[in-house]
Amino acid sequence: MQFENPFGVEELIELGGSAAVVLLMIGVAAVLGFRMSARIDDGELTRLAEAEGVRVDNSVIAQNGRTAFARLSDGRVMVARVMGADVSARFAPASIVRMNVNARRLNATFADTGFPPLKMRLDDSPAWLKEFSSGGDKA
Amino acid sequence: MTPPAAPFELPPIITYAVPGFVLLIIIEMIAVRLTKKGRYEYRDSASSLAMGLGNRVFGIAIGGLVVLAYFGVYQFRLFNLGWTWPVMIACFFAEDLAYYWFHRIAHERRFFWASHIVHHSSQHYNLTTALRQTWTGTLGLNFIFWLPLLYIGFPPLMVLMFSSISLVYQFWIHTELIDRMGPFEWIFNTPSHHRVHHATNAKYLDANYAGVLIIWDRMFGTFVPEDAKEKPHYGIVSQLGTFNPFRIAFHEWAGIWRDVTHAKSIKDVFGYVFGPPGWSPDGSRKTSASIKAEWAARQQTPPASAVAAE
Repeated sequence: MQFENPFGVEELIELGGSAAVVLLMIGVAAVLGFRMSARIDDGELTRLAEAEGVRVDNSVIAQNGRTAFARLSDGRVMVARVMGADVSARFAPASIVRMNVNARRLNATFADTGFPPLKMRLDDSPAWLKEFSSGGDKA
Repeated sequence: MTPPAAPFELPPIITYAVPGFVLLIIIEMIAVRLTKKGRYEYRDSASSLAMGLGNRVFGIAIGGLVVLAYFGVYQFRLFNLGWTWPVMIACFFAEDLAYYWFHRIAHERRFFWASHIVHHSSQHYNLTTALRQTWTGTLGLNFIFWLPLLYIGFPPLMVLMFSSISLVYQFWIHTELIDRMGPFEWIFNTPSHHRVHHATNAKYLDANYAGVLIIWDRMFGTFVPEDAKEKPHYGIVSQLGTFNPFRIAFHEWAGIWRDVTHAKSIKDVFGYVFGPPGWSPDGSRKTSASIKAEWAARQQTPPASAVAAE
């Protein structure tokens, strides 16, 4: 069997045209101002937790309102980040979250592939966060 | 034996539909801007459109395998069904039924979900979401659900034609701009039905798998109507939290790989690959069924505040 390159001139023109149209549509969306970003507040964290059937015990929200970290009533943690006009939340056992906390910053990475790392700037670092700073194995 | 020739030149249906897609997306964007009904976000749309473009790249590169498989199975067909009107009508229904089962199993078995999850990964619901398509559908063997049609004897090009028509039909139902549609909803898949399908609310999980006809969901017990009191929240149960197209395309495959390489037995490997999404040997992860069961249990229990008030 002979391998034939499926990408001929016609296909490349089609893909190039499609890419141009994609850029046009993204441009229209940007011009129309679809850059709105949701903001995370305590109410949103409560809604997300309730949808999961748990309560928020403690939470910290980034200065810009775009990311948040919370300890839940069942011992798990929730990280949340604004995704456009919505908020994306990840619920996980504390044991799979590697945390790095200092006075002004909180960084969290996950042991699995499910959620990108979280980086937050904080106004202050509440005391309850300290128990997570060594990898969160206590929950 | 060569398949019977189509009695007309088969148009490239999806290619012809693309200008319409673009126009409708721009119209929807303007309508959303004016009415504030529905939501757009340019990075989310960029991700969706990049997935659509990537899907086309993979289609050109390896889509020929699907055609080969179709014609390969067609060699062994049971009947010689030609291009007649009764056969075309039967093929329309058969293709839509095949789509229903493909779609249902794509949600119920992780191997197929790993490709289909891409389409559900946006937390927004608009016409660009319709174009958020998988890159791994062919490699993920999605086409096998249509092979029985070829084995029965429906001509391959007829099956491909109705698949294309179904795909084009399903474009317009990805919108929040259109509310309920009256009696049309009894038979056809509509924006309202499909919003339910894209929702992550426990009440709405695993419902409305229809392509064109909603009758299959009504027949097989997977139909759930949209509840005006419960607004859909879109996306997947474990939200991705990223607009990165490569992460969107491959994260579930990476998750399967990770689970399989850490599995302790062949049974666990089988469960991780072919079990329901969220399956784990110790049941510590959540599947749709467990989420729905927890939700149903919560509905039976009055909220703590209500108990306190009594």
